Amino acid sequence: MSEGIGASVKRKEDKKFLTGKGKYTDDINRPGQVYAHFVRSDVAHANIKSINTKAASQAAGVVAVYIGEDVAADGIGGPICGWVVPNRDGSATHEPPHPLLAQGKVRFVGDAIAVVIAESVEQAKSASELVEVDYEELPAVANLETASSGAEIHEGMKENRYFDWELGDEAATDKALQSAAKVVKLSVRNNRLIPNAMEPRSALAEYDDLGGSYTLHTTSQNPHLARLILAAFMFQIPESKLRVIAPDVGGGFGSKIYVYIEEAVCIWSSKKINRPVKWTADRTQSFLTDAHGRDHINNVQLALDESNKIIGLRVDTVCNLGSYLSAFAVAVPTYLHGTLLSGLYDIPTIYTNVKGMATTTAPVDAYRGAGRPEATYLLERTMDAAAREVGMDQAEFRRLNFIPKDAFPYQTAVALQYDTGDYEPNLDKAMEMIDYKSFEARRSEASKRGKYRGIGVSSYIEACGLAPSAVAGALGGRVGGWESASVRVDPTGTVTVFSGAHSHGQGHATTFSQIVSERLGIPNANVEFVHGDSDKTPFGMGTYGSRSLAVGGVALSKALDKVVEKSKKIAAHLMEASAEDVEFKDGKFTVAGTDKETAFGDVALAAYVPHNYPLETLEPGLEETAFYDPMNFTYPAGTHIAEVEVDPATGVVEIVDWAACDDFGNLINPMIVEGQVHGGIAQGIGQALLENAHYDENGQLLTASYMDYCMPRADDLPSFKVECTNTPCTHNDLGVKGCGEAGAIASPPALINAIINALSPLGVSDMSMPATPETVWRAIQNAQARAAE
Amino acid sequence: MYSTKIVKAENSSAAVQAIGSSKEGKILAGGMTLIPTLKQRLANPDCLIDISSCGLEGVEDKGSSVRIGAMTKHAAVAESSSVAKAIPALADLAGGIGDRQVRNRGTLGGSVANNDPAACYPSAVMALDGTVHTNKRDISADDFFKGMFETALEEDEVIESVSFKKPEKACYMKFPNPASRYAMVGVFVAKFSDGVRVAVTGAGEEGVFRHSDLESALSSNFSEEAVSGVEVSSDGLMSDIHASADYRANLIGEMTKRAVSS
Amino acid sequence: MEIKESYDLPLPIETVWQALNDEGFLKNSIPGCEKLERISPNELSAEVKLKIGPMSTRFKGKVNLSDLNPPNGYTISGSGTGGIAGAASGSAKVFLSKMEDGEGTILSYQVKAEVKGKIAQLGSRLIHSTAKKLAKKFFSNFVQELSK
Repeated sequence: MSEGIGASVKRKEDKKFLTGKGKYTDDINRPGQVYAHFVRSDVAHANIKSINTKAASQAAGVVAVYIGEDVAADGIGGPICGWVVPNRDGSATHEPPHPLLAQGKVRFVGDAIAVVIAESVEQAKSASELVEVDYEELPAVANLETASSGAEIHEGMKENRYFDWELGDEAATDKALQSAAKVVKLSVRNNRLIPNAMEPRSALAEYDDLGGSYTLHTTSQNPHLARLILAAFMFQIPESKLRVIAPDVGGGFGSKIYVYIEEAVCIWSSKKINRPVKWTADRTQSFLTDAHGRDHINNVQLALDESNKIIGLRVDTVCNLGSYLSAFAVAVPTYLHGTLLSGLYDIPTIYTNVKGMATTTAPVDAYRGAGRPEATYLLERTMDAAAREVGMDQAEFRRLNFIPKDAFPYQTAVALQYDTGDYEPNLDKAMEMIDYKSFEARRSEASKRGKYRGIGVSSYIEACGLAPSAVAGALGGRVGGWESASVRVDPTGTVTVFSGAHSHGQGHATTFSQIVSERLGIPNANVEFVHGDSDKTPFGMGTYGSRSLAVGGVALSKALDKVVEKSKKIAAHLMEASAEDVEFKDGKFTVAGTDKETAFGDVALAAYVPHNYPLETLEPGLEETAFYDPMNFTYPAGTHIAEVEVDPATGVVEIVDWAACDDFGNLINPMIVEGQVHGGIAQGIGQALLENAHYDENGQLLTASYMDYCMPRADDLPSFKVECTNTPCTHNDLGVKGCGEAGAIASPPALINAIINALSPLGVSDMSMPATPETVWRAIQNAQARAAE
Repeated sequence: MYSTKIVKAENSSAAVQAIGSSKEGKILAGGMTLIPTLKQRLANPDCLIDISSCGLEGVEDKGSSVRIGAMTKHAAVAESSSVAKAIPALADLAGGIGDRQVRNRGTLGGSVANNDPAACYPSAVMALDGTVHTNKRDISADDFFKGMFETALEEDEVIESVSFKKPEKACYMKFPNPASRYAMVGVFVAKFSDGVRVAVTGAGEEGVFRHSDLESALSSNFSEEAVSGVEVSSDGLMSDIHASADYRANLIGEMTKRAVSS
Repeated sequence: MEIKESYDLPLPIETVWQALNDEGFLKNSIPGCEKLERISPNELSAEVKLKIGPMSTRFKGKVNLSDLNPPNGYTISGSGTGGIAGAASGSAKVFLSKMEDGEGTILSYQVKAEVKGKIAQLGSRLIHSTAKKLAKKFFSNFVQELSK
């Protein structure tokens, strides 16, 4: 069986993970290591009148206690904002400082006030209890709807607003709304989520006073980016004096993109006390301080003409970005959201306004899908509402408005240009997979059992493979969007790939090996994959935004091109032929029209033992690096259809069937792709049915453990039917798109639409997320009460 | 957690003695609630008295009742053939507590002594007209549960076993909290020759309680229709971010119907 | 959250009012109160041990008496920190009125409670029930003390 591109080979890395042999940051220990524990705010919003650390400093095992003033005295800056946007009035995003330890004020429950460093974790925790903080409490700003009139969170920031951004043509859109035959209006809330990576965040920092350099082991999705931000912006030390290693990382979902204050405090204190400092979050700290996701309120107006074609769309959004601006917080609701509002529909004019608000809650940033789930949710909910209002079948209404296959490349009204796509086959396939046409029979069969059965469609598009650097830069991004890869061929022909992408569950070691196997004709087992160490790999941008393969994989392909090109020259020399006549296939070099051949291994050996080698024209060795900056985003698209049964007595929703048909372009490993789709759908179902971060009016997080924060479990999920279609990406060498986020983007509206569809005979036309049993039961009760009136 | 010492008691009187000689000692049964609490540093007992070697495990069929040792694990109750034969509803209940890990550690006595308002076992003790046997005395279920996390147990008292009367018919229906899988509402219905007992857990502000209206309706007519005729009040029911008192009231009726018709 | 309740007491309103202002009565009434000392006419320092299931935490804080309207009522509020467990605060508006027979007193109260930190993060399902229970206990203790 082939081990190359398109083969569903088993994941190389799984043996290690499944047998508990993974090596995570907390598994790493250094001689003389001490432990940090943070004293965190119990209150959401307060001035700090005083902090007394005396008793803590004298407690057993305590090495040091530091507060904000100590950080300020050393001039260490806080995490920076990686993306900003202009306001409607031309002014800039308000970027308030985010101190490592509170400077006179706390802004959310969990905000760090002091760090206690001790010989053991338990000693650090015990001493932390002795730190006395005297607060002058301020009103919490926990509610997004009223945040603009709440107490001032950041000095000088008006109405608690970080930014007020717009995209699209407002005049043309409002005109379309005015002239429309029908305007469909909908207000939706995208509920707030907590990432819950299996491995909590952790950091271990060590200072080498001889070389004046630091090593940081950390739970990062992008170690080089962390190094750049920490060294250049926060510590102002030479970047080369900081080595960042992200070893095995147990899930990120976006939450491990950013530099957090804890990593920085570990680095800073490791030099002050000249001992390695380790910190690992317990689960409560993860709930409180990992950057949360989503939390939007969207007001949508969709304009239709007499033939039910969309002629305009206006979306007004307020989003909750929390107490401090996390690294990519600004990008998520703007360029990863506003630009996706056309969906896969031909919409002549679109306008959106987004207000990014501060509240006294944890910072909010990218979480699987990041902006695109929010865009897809509001759009697909609106498409459903529109179909109902005009009396069309939900699938046919979408089909009517799809961008036609011959319209590509298609310029949307919101900046993006879709390179390719063909949306109807995904819809048709998904409908066939779930037997859409027989649905009404299943609905009536269910009603005989006292259940309401419903079917919901969600057709999505996403822009992934972040990102073309020039585009990102023009839109406010402060980093590049390229990726790197090095291919080192050993003298015996085995290969090590050094990637700037980072695998924290994605299976890069397998997928990237398959690309090498395909291109060099060597077995997968002969390919090693190295990532996550700033001293080992070329500078890389890391993994997020479904970019590893579409950007990092293409960088690898380009590095392999260079290896093949050089190998051909060596082979030509060995076979005494001209390089132009050498062909390379299945690991063998041949000369056209002759029986000459030489194996890849022989060429590798010649490169390193250059006894018979064109040294005058060619360097010895066989190691190549490529950097690849994509021309455009890639645009995976597809249709998910959910089928549910609702028990009216309890409001319980059972997902009885799920069909997903996605176009991810070419697939390298279909089994890994299917796994990504499964995981994404599970997370989307979690958002739609189960998960919700609940702050009370005082800004206390009431869902800070698994007793109250409901994660999806296997028995909440049906067996998914997953298929793919393929329109290869037109602008990268592999023809690949990206698949990591699609499931989480597509699934929530499919499920909510299915629930509404199930209950529509009762007159239910709206449903909020998460659709908990009580939420659904109440909707039924209210509809029945309305009907009785 | 704070450091503490562990004393392994050989029998229940030794356990009681150890409690007496400690300042704020705590009995450690399965530890499914106590250990997480200690890890969160929300309690600081100077001593934990481990009663796993006190010989308090096992199931005994006593003819008209089943007596189960306090340290019997949920998994053992779920898998016990005598429980399955005598009171299958009790085996079902035990098999639905927590997850496999919890069932392999958690104990009947620990659950009953803790009297968490959302725990499953108290409803069985109450509905099956149970008796809690301690080192000092026998306490009937109706006298044992005194409100949320409170019981009739005194400081020098350890549960040794619990007896459950064999019903003609019984069923436990749990509507789990989707996050914790504790009971959001759990209803244990037990039909005896002299009447029906209905115990509700997960819903009452004072913990497990008997629902007298449902009991009298079902005692005269053991049917779903009889349940439909009872208006379940939301007074005194818990409200939290997962479920309002109204919704819990609805679930009490619904779970009772399902228990009756199963 | 708000909790309302009322009691009929077979005592004159003045007696009840005096008891409401007596730290001895208050100390015996506040559930788990281990220490209550007056530090100014309307301010007391307090130490309360709170046990909820396996959790056991000592709260240190203050009790304030405000909106004094003798003998018709006042607001009693308390707030305390329980170290790692977080903080809790609550207040009760207490109303006294003469019963129609002129002899007895009706005591009614409205309670508000808030918790912060770990107790809020881990015990949200129990907050409301616990607050209600503690308020009930306080007033039933108080009534019991009065009838001694």
